[in-house]
Amino acid sequence: MLGQQLLNGLTLGATYALIALGYTMVYGIIQLINFAHGEIYMVGAFVGVLMVTVFKQGLVVSLVAAMLTCMIIGVSIERIAYRPLRGSTRLSPLISAIGVSIFLQTLMTKVQGPQPVGFPHVIEDAIYKFGSLEITKVQILILVVASLLMAGLTFIVKYVKIGKAMRAASEDYDAASLMGINVNRVISFTFAIGSSLAAAGGVLVGIYFNSVSPLMGVSAGLKAFCAAVLGGIGSIPGAMLGGIFLGVAETLGIAGGFDLYKDAIAFTLLIVVLLFRPTGLLGRPIQRKV
Amino acid sequence: MKKNKLWKVMSLMLVLSLVLVGCGGGGGEKKAAEGDKPAAGGDTIKIGFLGAKTGGHAAFGIPTLEGMKMAAADVNNAGGILGKKIEIIEEDHGSKNSEGANVTQKMITRDNVVAIVGDPTTAITKIAAPIAQDKKVVLLSAGAVGTGVVEIGDYIFRDTLLDAVAAPAVTQYVKEKLGWQKVAVVTSMNNDYSVGLSKLFKAALVENGIEIIVEQSIQDGDQNFSAQVTTIKEKNPDGIIFTGYYTEGGLFMKEVRKQGIKAFMVGGDGLLGDVLMKMGGEAVEGSMVYCGFAADENKAGEKTKKFIEAYKAGNNGALPDMFAAQGYDAVMLLADAIKAANSDAPETFRSELAKTKDWEGVSGTITFQENREPIKSPVYLLEVKEGKFAVKDIVDIK
Repeated sequence: MLGQQLLNGLTLGATYALIALGYTMVYGIIQLINFAHGEIYMVGAFVGVLMVTVFKQGLVVSLVAAMLTCMIIGVSIERIAYRPLRGSTRLSPLISAIGVSIFLQTLMTKVQGPQPVGFPHVIEDAIYKFGSLEITKVQILILVVASLLMAGLTFIVKYVKIGKAMRAASEDYDAASLMGINVNRVISFTFAIGSSLAAAGGVLVGIYFNSVSPLMGVSAGLKAFCAAVLGGIGSIPGAMLGGIFLGVAETLGIAGGFDLYKDAIAFTLLIVVLLFRPTGLLGRPIQRKV
Repeated sequence: MKKNKLWKVMSLMLVLSLVLVGCGGGGGEKKAAEGDKPAAGGDTIKIGFLGAKTGGHAAFGIPTLEGMKMAAADVNNAGGILGKKIEIIEEDHGSKNSEGANVTQKMITRDNVVAIVGDPTTAITKIAAPIAQDKKVVLLSAGAVGTGVVEIGDYIFRDTLLDAVAAPAVTQYVKEKLGWQKVAVVTSMNNDYSVGLSKLFKAALVENGIEIIVEQSIQDGDQNFSAQVTTIKEKNPDGIIFTGYYTEGGLFMKEVRKQGIKAFMVGGDGLLGDVLMKMGGEAVEGSMVYCGFAADENKAGEKTKKFIEAYKAGNNGALPDMFAAQGYDAVMLLADAIKAANSDAPETFRSELAKTKDWEGVSGTITFQENREPIKSPVYLLEVKEGKFAVKDIVDIK
């Protein structure tokens, strides 16, 4: 049964990883912890529900629509709430982020009501067997979509021009802008990519757990933030690894009978890892410029 | 400068108004204390309704009041009791705990009620009960099922089906009628109701010789149950005892079916709500829930059938729920006790009420034990059928 639980953990971890990527990319460039990111994930899940129930769309269209919508929302949030504060202290945009987060939560509670909403049935409950291991169709979907998105992101960051600009900006913000990179555009692009990944995570989780609620972004956002720090904030492979690590640890914890402590597991792990590797699993060593 | 002055005037007015309100409140209380309980002299017998007509608990309060009014009308149409009519004093605490105490206070001291029916929730009942006990007014809750209610004092009663009575009966039922030998028990650890109910179920399971092969814990607000369900699947139980609420119940069953487990779920009235079907969809078909009352004209007795018909006639064809039936019974219980005592003084009819034995109401048969805890029969076992709760069986308590 260990294999089965590992698979459950991997699926959960893949969704954490999708959200963690948004945290880590934004932090990598502007050193902002975007606390509204968990709410983007929640909004994405609701857009998915809306597409399926009201517009009667299938899975693929709903997923893409949620990603596009959140892309726009993410970029707008950056424009409205973070960019005007770019020159100020590091604390100001952080507080602004918390404000956006609370705004989105309350707005959704107002529009949607505080009760969780069931995610409509979009794929049938089929089970595939590999020896003693059983995998459901939803789990396959999550693992495949998450892998594709992460592979796509890696490709963009490594080989596409805007991706290279992102890396340059994250390495040295001022030098990048001196070299003629339009840093504002790069930041917008980063928010767009990060938000769309979170929206995909939201839709997938909605399908997996069959439930979407206005406050779902709080704990998921916190866990994903944890995953990002665990893997080394600012590092893209680190966020993927951190997410999966956390998902597996949490699931094994529940399977081992520590359900009450499942949130504590994530944070205990974080503390332990940071004690031994202060920059996270794959984080770059901090170099202070003198 | 000018602005400053304005502020001063305004704050002065605020202080003045606060003082005035404070005085008004104090005066009212004093007056009420002087006129403490001249109840027996009135020309009506006043019974207070403590509950919510607005806010989150309105769904419990409104039907309770409706049932109470029907009972009062029935009594009054038959000539009343002791030559007096029953009058229901309506209040609304708006689902707020703090208002619960105020309303109770007001009904006793200003309206001089002889008895209060309510609150439908355990929490507000526990707030109101010490006040009623202190003023020696009978309080009969038509909804509280939690622990520590009647222990508050000898004026405190309730006419609800208790889990301590229902869980053993349901356990026996699943063993004898459904042939369950080994079960999984799922508890929501941050939910007092669930933790308490699991304890009752586990004791009953052991007593009936059903094996608990796996226990899993969840939490209210959880959405991911894959790890727990995988653990349950490995043990292959005949059935699942789920003691939490409907939201998690629906999601849990969804995961159970997703992982290919065929077993059905049984739970308490924490699962009784349309949210169960909204969250669980097809996966909760066949899930079983017990409760103190369900309207089913085909399976109901003579008295209950008449009540259902009368309720439907007065409520545009809507069926009465548990709260309506228990509210109706609460007023009838009080009326019968007052009649038997030949007095509407709470000190006198209180002891008659405590003697209630095998009393036939519309929600079932009620006996108050020595400690005033009710034993109620039958237990209604409902089953989800095509997305709706339907009465599966009516289980009598021995």
